[in-house]
Amino acid sequence: MIPALAQSSVLAAQTAFPILPALIITPLLSAVAILLVPSHRQSEVRLVALAGSTITGAMAVWMMAAFDKTEAGFQFVVNEPWLTSMGLNWHFAVDGISLFMIVLTGILFPIAILAAVPQHDSKAYHAWIMVLMAGSMGVFMALDLLLFFVFFEVVLIPMYFLIGGWGHGRRIYAALKFFIYTMAGSALMLVGIVSLAFLTASRTGNALTFDVTQLAEAQALGTTAQRLIFLTFALAFAVKVPIFPLHTWLPDAHTEAPTAGSVILAGVMLKLGTYGYIRFGVYLFPQAAYDLAWIFLTLGVVGILYAAVVATMQKDLKRLVAYSSVAHLGFIVLGIFTLNTQGLTGSVFQMVAHGVSTGALFIMVGWVYERRHTRQIAELGGLQKPAPIFAAAFTLVMLSSIGLPGLNGFTGEFLILLGGFQAARWWTVFAVLGVILAALYLLWAYQRVFHGTPTGDNIDMPELKASEGLVLLPLLVLIVFMGVYPKPMLERIEPSIERLVAHVEANVDGFIEPGPVQVPERPSDAVTLTEALEEAEKKAAREEGEVEDSVDEEGREASLAEGETTK
Amino acid sequence: MAQYLPVLALLLLGSGFAAINLVVSKLVSPSRPTEEKLAPYECGIVPGREPPHRFPVRFYLIAMLFIIFDIEIVFLYPWAVANAGLGRFGLVAILIFSALVFESFIYLISKGALDWGTLQVNRRLSPMVNEDRTVESTVRKVGLVGRFEEVESLKDALIDGNAATDSVPEQDGAAA
Amino acid sequence: MMSLFAQVPVSTPEIQWFYLAPILILALGGVLLITLTSVAPVMRGRHISALFTVATGVLALAFLPFIAARLDGLVDPVAGQGGRPAVDLVSSALVVDHFTLWVSGLISVAVILVAVMLDGYLEREGFESPEWYALLLISASGGVILASAEDLIVTFLGLEILSIAVYVLAALHLRRSESQEAGFKYFILGALSSAIFLYGIAMVYGATGSTTLTGVAGSMTGRNAAGLSPAVDSSLVMVGIALMLIGFGFKVSAFPLHIWTPDVYQGSPTPIVGFMTSAVKVAAFGGMMRVFLVGFGGTFASDWRVLVLFMAGFTILFGSFLAIVQTNIKRTMAFSSIAHAGFMLVGLYAAASPVAIGDTGKRAVLFYLLAYTFMSIGTFAVISIVGKKGDGNHSIEAYRGLAKREPLLAMAFTVLLFGQVGAPFTAGFFAKFRVIAAAAQVERTEAYILAGVAMLGAAVGAYLYLRVVVAMFLDVQESPSTEMADSADETLALVEVRALEVPPATLAVVLLAAVVTLVLGIFPDIGSGALAEAALALVR
Repeated sequence: MIPALAQSSVLAAQTAFPILPALIITPLLSAVAILLVPSHRQSEVRLVALAGSTITGAMAVWMMAAFDKTEAGFQFVVNEPWLTSMGLNWHFAVDGISLFMIVLTGILFPIAILAAVPQHDSKAYHAWIMVLMAGSMGVFMALDLLLFFVFFEVVLIPMYFLIGGWGHGRRIYAALKFFIYTMAGSALMLVGIVSLAFLTASRTGNALTFDVTQLAEAQALGTTAQRLIFLTFALAFAVKVPIFPLHTWLPDAHTEAPTAGSVILAGVMLKLGTYGYIRFGVYLFPQAAYDLAWIFLTLGVVGILYAAVVATMQKDLKRLVAYSSVAHLGFIVLGIFTLNTQGLTGSVFQMVAHGVSTGALFIMVGWVYERRHTRQIAELGGLQKPAPIFAAAFTLVMLSSIGLPGLNGFTGEFLILLGGFQAARWWTVFAVLGVILAALYLLWAYQRVFHGTPTGDNIDMPELKASEGLVLLPLLVLIVFMGVYPKPMLERIEPSIERLVAHVEANVDGFIEPGPVQVPERPSDAVTLTEALEEAEKKAAREEGEVEDSVDEEGREASLAEGETTK
Repeated sequence: MAQYLPVLALLLLGSGFAAINLVVSKLVSPSRPTEEKLAPYECGIVPGREPPHRFPVRFYLIAMLFIIFDIEIVFLYPWAVANAGLGRFGLVAILIFSALVFESFIYLISKGALDWGTLQVNRRLSPMVNEDRTVESTVRKVGLVGRFEEVESLKDALIDGNAATDSVPEQDGAAA
Repeated sequence: MMSLFAQVPVSTPEIQWFYLAPILILALGGVLLITLTSVAPVMRGRHISALFTVATGVLALAFLPFIAARLDGLVDPVAGQGGRPAVDLVSSALVVDHFTLWVSGLISVAVILVAVMLDGYLEREGFESPEWYALLLISASGGVILASAEDLIVTFLGLEILSIAVYVLAALHLRRSESQEAGFKYFILGALSSAIFLYGIAMVYGATGSTTLTGVAGSMTGRNAAGLSPAVDSSLVMVGIALMLIGFGFKVSAFPLHIWTPDVYQGSPTPIVGFMTSAVKVAAFGGMMRVFLVGFGGTFASDWRVLVLFMAGFTILFGSFLAIVQTNIKRTMAFSSIAHAGFMLVGLYAAASPVAIGDTGKRAVLFYLLAYTFMSIGTFAVISIVGKKGDGNHSIEAYRGLAKREPLLAMAFTVLLFGQVGAPFTAGFFAKFRVIAAAAQVERTEAYILAGVAMLGAAVGAYLYLRVVVAMFLDVQESPSTEMADSADETLALVEVRALEVPPATLAVVLLAAVVTLVLGIFPDIGSGALAEAALALVR
């Protein structure tokens, strides 16, 4: 009873302030404020943007603090009618899966604004960034399918203008390619969305709705319909992630985008795809996701290996980082389609970790470009001598990207591989090669850029400035903190993931989440292991039908049992 | 298909009539061609120049005026025949119709359909139009055209006219 | 001979003038305008014709709520309209219901907006003729007749009143030979399609013995599982339907009858193109929906909707793909309007499907028409401004750097273009969403494929709008390598753009269109009551 009371009081507290709409409206208002600043006072534009994004970020962090970690379902729910005749609602809510996406968005945007100054048109640049922030926030909290689609599409517009207006080199080409690719990818998803809604409405006899939870609970589709509609969603997300054969827009977009654009693109926007797979792909179509998982596992692994090989060959440092993103997202896709708790939790964790570390990498590559006016690896060299602190910071970020134990890249990757080994052993075996290749291309690049004797202009490479250090500091702290003490994050992610897995188990014939086959020999991460062990115990308990015993152990156990009973 | 038989018959009759005429005139008429006879037909006069390609557009307006009243008569006639049966409704309908036709007449008049020489409308509207132009200078005289000297003198006259035009709008502008 | 002159009283219809108000106001407005300007030279002054036209449009618009109120107040709606409020007029020649009102409203709005932008245009081009406005009004009255006709003959009458005025309008820019060419092309092809349409009416009449829509529909109700009742020759009806589909397909520029569109749009005066894409399209779709859904909706729907299905798919594909290679913005927008017509046909396809639930398809088309009216008029208002004196500055290059010179205009144009892309939070998004939703509701394989094709076409079409946006916003500074080559071009472009004169009234039209595009995108529930009523009025 006490937890229930606590929960209701928390909910009451939550409903007092509509935090989720505020997260969207604040950046939008600051975009309007930016447009109202007279154009001759450019410096104040930056201040307004910074203030707006920082306030939004602070609200996101505050929301994380207020988040009830024992509750697996959706929190901070806002549900207002939008287009009633078509059953559309402004439905926003957050659970453990989307929580950290929102926090990541809130943290990365101020940093991205700080990290680079636009060459021209500061006003329009910052206005677009704030619009992008509002859109990104909206995507991660929308629980109405069409509302999600709207935000999913709307983020393209500011990103298109950012790349095209403030990018480098072939920016217009890159911007157009980015826009058309993504738009074409998601074109079919709209068909999928309305088909899903109408089919569900006509099968169940309920009113037309686009509400994700209602559609997921209904599960009214036949196998073929479910697979086809799943594929329309999967295509849209695959372009966004991007998954191997559809990734060709990404290197162009990343390379030509301005630094802030690259940071946001890698840190936030690529996550739209992977987040979409978890929230919509797996949740709405468990059967299809289970049946077709092999496709995505294969493409994920191919992506990991292919991108790693291609990254090794890159001459442009930013392009190399871009390809490393493709490889990392391959891991995330692999983790998602294991469909077990470890894999999915690892994926969510890795999404945040990749956002932090790749964001930092892009910022630093941007600074290298600012200082040296080149990104060609061959023209750089020996930067460690004139700029040791810069090199040290770069090392830390790079090692996190490689997945060194103790840094954030490791935790997620390890969980993914752990989950993958149980669910999809052979795919995982190949995926592990990707970890080695990541070390190869990143270390080799580091060696070529920072080691050796500096020549030419490289001798005068300026050191990291104090202000830049301050910008980078939060990311470095996060990299270490998430690697050393991932528990606060994992314990918020896991209940929602378990709920999702229970949903999959309930709706897929013959699917039982594979428990840990064997305990890994050398547990490097105590938290992970305990979680794994607990998971095994629960599994055993569930199989023996002793669910009741473990009910009052923890809040999330309760939710699990709930899943069981509904089944 | 039997009901289409008259159509077919008429078709055959019509084309047959034309064909017979052509053939008979070919066979019966005497043929003694000269150069003048083979030249394009122009009122019996030997053509002195190529026929003009452009007619003053006013001719078309006159033609349209004719057609307007033609059509009005075409519709008025059956109404008159059936008037008693149609009653007030028919009267109102035909009045509306007549009003519309009359309206187009007003419009054409205002466009200068019955003006020759400089348009009244344009004289008021556009200072670019030479007010000195008259029927005499506008309508081409058949007897003069084609004779070299005449054309030259006409050209001179026109140039003078234009020079006069140039001064006119300035005066207008000053007056305005 | 006596029998010929026999004075037999003919039963003449009662006329309820009140319900005819929109048609009468528009038509009489046109006639009055031309008469007044003929007899009173004062009327030929600046802006007077435009103001008169706007006033006429507003008056017609103002009548609509009163007509709607009286319709709803009817105690005994006319039988045969499925219980929906409707009034038969002039012995079943016309019908006034909420569908008529919706279409009339859109056409009136189009007249008002086009008249406003025409004022600045004529001023710039040095025309003072009131004929433009009079033809606009008369064409609009034809559009309303077309959409409210309940008799196929009257449908044809409306179609011709609508079209002939627009043929003339297309050719009215007397100093541009392209304009003459456009008018001529439009006239020849349009007359041909009208003839085909008329032939279709004759076929249908021959088969059913009736020209009224209810009569046609009624004569077909006897169709059984094996085919038709013996009274109706089904092959004759189908030929008739196909011929009428050709006639309407030409007017809405659907594949394969779309060939004229780019040529005519390129040559015609730009504000008139705005009128063609809005009012003419609205009227043609209005007439098409009424004839096909009311007249042929019951029995033959399953036959003709297959034709509409293919038409819709190919129209979207052709419109989107062919637009890519265009360099002239008016041609580009012509192909885009073809693609939009394809989307509306998707809605019509869905509306024709035997779905018991809802009128999603009809509502989709009607909403699409609403959204597209504003978006296209706004777009062509911008094109008209950028076209400059002579109306010939229409290469996409002409838009380079527009954002620098005319930021407000460029921003509004961007909104309108993104609206046409179907970007979220614009009216275009909900227009496309409704159409796709309607297709999905049919729950047939071919409908899903059509929806997929439509969305792919939309994605391809995005490229053509983005090219213009790129030119306006992004293409100002070139990368260092091409700086030398392009700087000359660029300064030229800037100089040219600087010479733009932006009439405040036209700018207001653009801004209004952009605002409506955004508002309908954020609050799509606005007007959905009237929308639902309008859709329900078309009972199959």
